[in-house]
Amino acid sequence: MRRAATLLSLALVLGLSLVAAGCGGDDDDEAGGDTTTAATTEDGGGAAADCTGSIGVMAPITGDAASIGEEQLNFTKFAVSQYNEENGTSFELVEGDTQLDPAQASTVAQRFVSDDDILAVIGPAGSQEVEAVGPIFTRENLGFVGASATATALTESGDLPTFHRVVPNDAAQGPTIGEFIAEELDAQTVFIVDDQTSYSTGLAESATESLEGADVTVERDSVNQDQSDFSALVSRAADADVVFLPWQLANKGQVFAQQLQEQGSDAVVFGSDGLFSSDFTAEGAYVSSFAPDITAIESSAELVEAYEAEYGEFTSTFGPPMHAATTIALEAITAVCEEGEPTREAIAEQIGETELEESILGGPLAFDENGDVEGAQFYIFRVLGGGEYEPVDA
Amino acid sequence: MDGTFLLQQLVNGLTLGSVYALIALGYSLVYGILKLLNFAHGEVYMIGAFIGYFVLIGLGGPEDLAVPVAVALTLMFLAAMLGSGLLGVLIERFAYRRLRNAPRIAPLITALGVAFFLQSSALLLFGAQFRSYGTFQFMTGGIEVAGVRISTTRILVVVAAFSLMIALTLLVGRTTLGKAMRATAYDREAAAMMGIDVDRVIVATFLIGSILAGAAGVMFGLVFFSVYHLMGFTAGLKGFTAAVVGGIGSIPGAMLGGLLIGLAEAFSAAYISSTFQDLIVFSILIAVMLFRPTGLLGKADIRKV
Repeated sequence: MRRAATLLSLALVLGLSLVAAGCGGDDDDEAGGDTTTAATTEDGGGAAADCTGSIGVMAPITGDAASIGEEQLNFTKFAVSQYNEENGTSFELVEGDTQLDPAQASTVAQRFVSDDDILAVIGPAGSQEVEAVGPIFTRENLGFVGASATATALTESGDLPTFHRVVPNDAAQGPTIGEFIAEELDAQTVFIVDDQTSYSTGLAESATESLEGADVTVERDSVNQDQSDFSALVSRAADADVVFLPWQLANKGQVFAQQLQEQGSDAVVFGSDGLFSSDFTAEGAYVSSFAPDITAIESSAELVEAYEAEYGEFTSTFGPPMHAATTIALEAITAVCEEGEPTREAIAEQIGETELEESILGGPLAFDENGDVEGAQFYIFRVLGGGEYEPVDA
Repeated sequence: MDGTFLLQQLVNGLTLGSVYALIALGYSLVYGILKLLNFAHGEVYMIGAFIGYFVLIGLGGPEDLAVPVAVALTLMFLAAMLGSGLLGVLIERFAYRRLRNAPRIAPLITALGVAFFLQSSALLLFGAQFRSYGTFQFMTGGIEVAGVRISTTRILVVVAAFSLMIALTLLVGRTTLGKAMRATAYDREAAAMMGIDVDRVIVATFLIGSILAGAAGVMFGLVFFSVYHLMGFTAGLKGFTAAVVGGIGSIPGAMLGGLLIGLAEAFSAAYISSTFQDLIVFSILIAVMLFRPTGLLGKADIRKV
């Protein structure tokens, strides 16, 4: 096994340097070494075809989730420029702002499919957006790699053959959170408030199941995210040990937590990955995340440093998976390029077969047959005073 | 728990209701005089909230105020009320005045246009992210009544809202301007013939309504923290509902409607489910419309043919 892997990566490095040469790169070639690259190409024979093209990125650049959208965009830009530099390619990036709105996402998707330069898409951010753009991309055989959409059905339904994601799905998130609340926080009663979106209800459902399995009393309610006053709901949740909010707008989670405190409750707030943001700073709360804190991963230290030198500090975990997704997409495009004129269809297929030996998220990254990431895991963080997040060892 | 819980909901409902009542007053005042549904009103409220926010930040932010809290609050309210009032007058001048004798559908569509214009301008100017007043530490003080903690800000908001409503009632009931407003509402042409400067009365009406909306915006920011460019839509809708429930055109009706809607929201979220909160609020609206088409305190609009 091990020998096969070594052989394979050797072949890859060889293939890649050929590609780099073929694409007319004149960089000092340390490509495979320090960072990410390694694709399972058949054999990198001959000079690659003209290896140019664009990838589209869909992110909530403005709108309610702008704070995470900006980081997502920056990490994508970073990944593209880094890949170009290392491999002497000249891939370009086309930006599409979705505002975390499925309707907006569809408009962007239409624009992307009609732009022949776009060979693959990164994003969109939300599960409901993926649902909205899925049919459009499927029809055009355009591959898209999600970096934060975690609803289980996206991959398991089989409706979106060109969709892959580099983050785990909610089938893993719900139980992880449920177990943590039941065992580590030792809660007897939990109040769950979903926000009436497919992401939220799905997560609330799977957490409820896991909590009830552990004999924890669960009470449920839901609330529209247009609302800004939760005080009446808060009064009902005040006596629970833990309040679980599977929401996507961190600011609303913050208001909820503050109103709990205002009414003198000492319930612990537990937010899902959507609340992982600098807008959510309720001290003593917990948040889950589909990605680890990459600043704590040794092998990614150089990447973090390079990123921060160019784009400044980042606070959420929404950015780094975009880097991994972008790198995979570019690897796939390069691999297809070698065979001849790249088609969207071939690239979409190739994405599923592409693996990273050492991604920015730490460790190898590969997809299973559904397009989900292999060996998926969720991470839990604790919110300290001043809005700092500290990873909790599960 | 039951008594305390009930009291807590009363506090929650009253706070929200006071904000709704102030917004409803603006709808009602303008409708009373022009028979115009000023859908841009919610956006005036949003701008007021933003003005309050920027004054607060300009004074050093909630953590590090350059002036005492009371001074900061006064300045925030004054700036927001002034700014919103001015905005209201501008809207009247540029969007509605020329359409005063147009068919009623024209100013209605214009009102929607102005609403979108203001919303998009706010998006362009302030960005799309949520901003937080961050006034949470103002909330820690307060009194405790029968086991319910009532924060200073909530008391401040309710007291300020009621003072404004009393001031408005006095203004309309006791002053010459109020008399002119009532006369214009009753019959615009006849009022003009009696020598009332109808233009000035209308400008004054927009000014007063928008001042109240600006104050409501700051109140909302103080209690519920977050301000953003779309906040005017939901609040405007609730304020409008409150005005209709109370009887559009009626000042005490708008106050009653606002408090009613606020309390209904709090109690339905607390005792039934927040999922159905809006359903219940709008069911109340439909029920009132069915049994009292003029609203709770509204008068029938009798027209001579």
